[in-house]
Amino acid sequence: MTEPASAIAIATNMERKPTDWSASSKMRQRLASRNRTEKMFQFTGLAAVVLAVFFLAFLLWSMLADGVHGLSWQFLTGTDSSDPETVGIWGALKGSLLTMAVTLGLSFPIGVLTALYLEEFAPRNMWTDIVEVSINNLAAVPSIIFGLLGLAVFLNFMHLPRSAPVVGGLTLALMTMPVIVIAGRNAIKSVPPSIRDAARGIGASPVQVVFHHVLPLALPGIMTGTIIGMARALGETAPLLMIGMRAFIPTPPSSFTEPATVLPVQIFLWSDEISQGFVEKTSAAIIVLLAVLMTMNSIAIILRNRFEQKW
Amino acid sequence: MFLIAILAAVVASFLGRRKAQAIGRASGGGGDPRSRMPALPGHYGAFLALCTGGPAFVMACIWPTISDTFVMRAVLASPVAKTLPAAEIDREAIIGEARGLADGTIEAAFNPASYELVKPITAAIQHFNLIGFILTLVLVLAGFAAGYLCIRRDFRARDRVETIVMVCLMAASLVALVTTFGIVASLLFETSLFFRQVPVTEFLFGTHWSPTTDIVPGQTNGFGAVPLFWGTVFIGAIIAMIIAIPIGVLTAIYLTQYARPTVRKWLKPTLEVLAGIPTVVYGYFAALTLGPAVREFALMLGMENPTSESALSAGLVMGVMIIPLISSMSDDSIAAVPASMRDGALALGATKSETVRKVLVPAALPGIVGGILLAVSRAIGETMIVVMAAGMAANLSANPFASVTTVTTQIVQLLTGDQEFDSAKTLSAFALGLVLFIVTLILNVIALSIVKRYREAYE
Repeated sequence: MTEPASAIAIATNMERKPTDWSASSKMRQRLASRNRTEKMFQFTGLAAVVLAVFFLAFLLWSMLADGVHGLSWQFLTGTDSSDPETVGIWGALKGSLLTMAVTLGLSFPIGVLTALYLEEFAPRNMWTDIVEVSINNLAAVPSIIFGLLGLAVFLNFMHLPRSAPVVGGLTLALMTMPVIVIAGRNAIKSVPPSIRDAARGIGASPVQVVFHHVLPLALPGIMTGTIIGMARALGETAPLLMIGMRAFIPTPPSSFTEPATVLPVQIFLWSDEISQGFVEKTSAAIIVLLAVLMTMNSIAIILRNRFEQKW
Repeated sequence: MFLIAILAAVVASFLGRRKAQAIGRASGGGGDPRSRMPALPGHYGAFLALCTGGPAFVMACIWPTISDTFVMRAVLASPVAKTLPAAEIDREAIIGEARGLADGTIEAAFNPASYELVKPITAAIQHFNLIGFILTLVLVLAGFAAGYLCIRRDFRARDRVETIVMVCLMAASLVALVTTFGIVASLLFETSLFFRQVPVTEFLFGTHWSPTTDIVPGQTNGFGAVPLFWGTVFIGAIIAMIIAIPIGVLTAIYLTQYARPTVRKWLKPTLEVLAGIPTVVYGYFAALTLGPAVREFALMLGMENPTSESALSAGLVMGVMIIPLISSMSDDSIAAVPASMRDGALALGATKSETVRKVLVPAALPGIVGGILLAVSRAIGETMIVVMAAGMAANLSANPFASVTTVTTQIVQLLTGDQEFDSAKTLSAFALGLVLFIVTLILNVIALSIVKRYREAYE
């Protein structure tokens, strides 16, 4: 008979004790202040995110507001001129295309082969370490340094033509290659060893293993890295200024060695124009550039989501 | 020439395969492994293709440079060239124009003497193009013959092809090394030329920057780079970081700890868009929208004659550009803190914010600091924003509304103006580039080693 009673007593005691404890006004105050801090902290975090997103929205909106009226068929197909009414970006766009063709043609094969070598074949020795360190550093070197390299080596030492897409492409290829190597190595690393073992087991040579099995499986990852690297190269301005791709180009370039300019440099040049009409055209060119870049990045994301394999 | 090499290689791969198949059939023993050929027909094809196309391809790559010197020599030896001016610069200008005329890239020459040269140049170019063509053909045929004779029953084509592939892989990996070496060598070389004219101490410790082409030895010449270093640090490491560090770290905390997964899934790529916007767009925004606004603000504060090119507008925009970098580095390092630490703190009754502030952030601090160092190195190497928004005046001032200039701005400024390359003015850009390269390199190395050690600590 007494047992349930004591149990109830204990239970009420247990219930009462914490109630008592939190009922003390000092504790309650403390809890309230802790909760306030919690709220404040969460609010600050949210504010930081909102601030960043707001800035992005503001930037995009101001470009759209300024430039959307400048977009027209004539603007997309015209070339640079001194009259803001008739300027177009086709010349710069074509320069960008030619430059990117050179960049892709050089940096993709070299980057993929380097990644394959470092990940699959390279012996662990000092040389490999030096190569690895230099790739990691190249990925972080400021882009303008690549411009100085292009100026000193390609123009002054090798006497390649000034302002030409081929020189711009070479310079940007050196800049993009480390990005592709790093992305490629990660993609290759994620291919499970069992694939290699299986291929080796049925008599494939190491080179066959890599080129028939590892590379195809790693390709989506490599492509994603390549697209991101190319998008970066496409938006790059400073190194191209160094090698003189800032000429006034009234006719679109038709070969890799003709003087050309690229879209970001064209934006830079127009932004320096005093005439008010160029404000609209500059913003319109920015809209085109951003549209291209965002398309490239979305393709990269889609590629990653669709082909990424979880092993 | 490239076309010949590639076409020949395609044809050769076909023929090599055929021959290998023929040998395989002739020997007959398809079933017995020992009597089979040591490689697949495709390997023989690839081997023959490499033999045929490889040398010719290399030749096609280097021939333009070789033939260039030959053409020059032939032109200078021609009777017309006797009339050219003796000064090398003039001569080269005329020859360059004549080349343009010969190629058809320029229509009218500035110097009438260049018209005379068009004929010998065209002749020489044609002459050496023909020689290059014949040489390529010879290489193709010789390579094909040698390779074709090699293909026999016991020839291990797979091993040969793979050796060549390995050599290609190694060569590709050396490109990065050569690039690094090229950067260091070219910067050091040009900088040493510069320091022959201007003392190192003046460059590193002088406080007056107004580069000129004429150098007076033994006197200060306006090559004191301290104002530039200050401007770079002020914009990139102070103003930009005041914006980017709090917003970046708080964003990372919010996204990892508070945001719901769906919100996070959308917000993260949105913030990464900030990192994908080209710097020239940021620069344009800073110069056109933010610059005037900052000037208005300075006027409101009662400043006299504020400029629209201020350290503040450039630094603000640069800070925004850096946010995603700091955010993603902090994100990674917070995620790398073991879950047991977080769970332990929560189990002791700490609120979420207390856990973040007293456990997660201190534990992730090395990673965050590493990210900040990387961000600083990005910011001080950033060019277009400061070129467009920070101005050209080399002021040694801590006033954020004043116009300051940076190392990168001056590099652009010095190298896009005049074309004369050997003056101290243009060479000083390379000295600035070397300083920038060394500083970013040190920052990156420190940052990466901190991050690496931190990751090891929790693994």
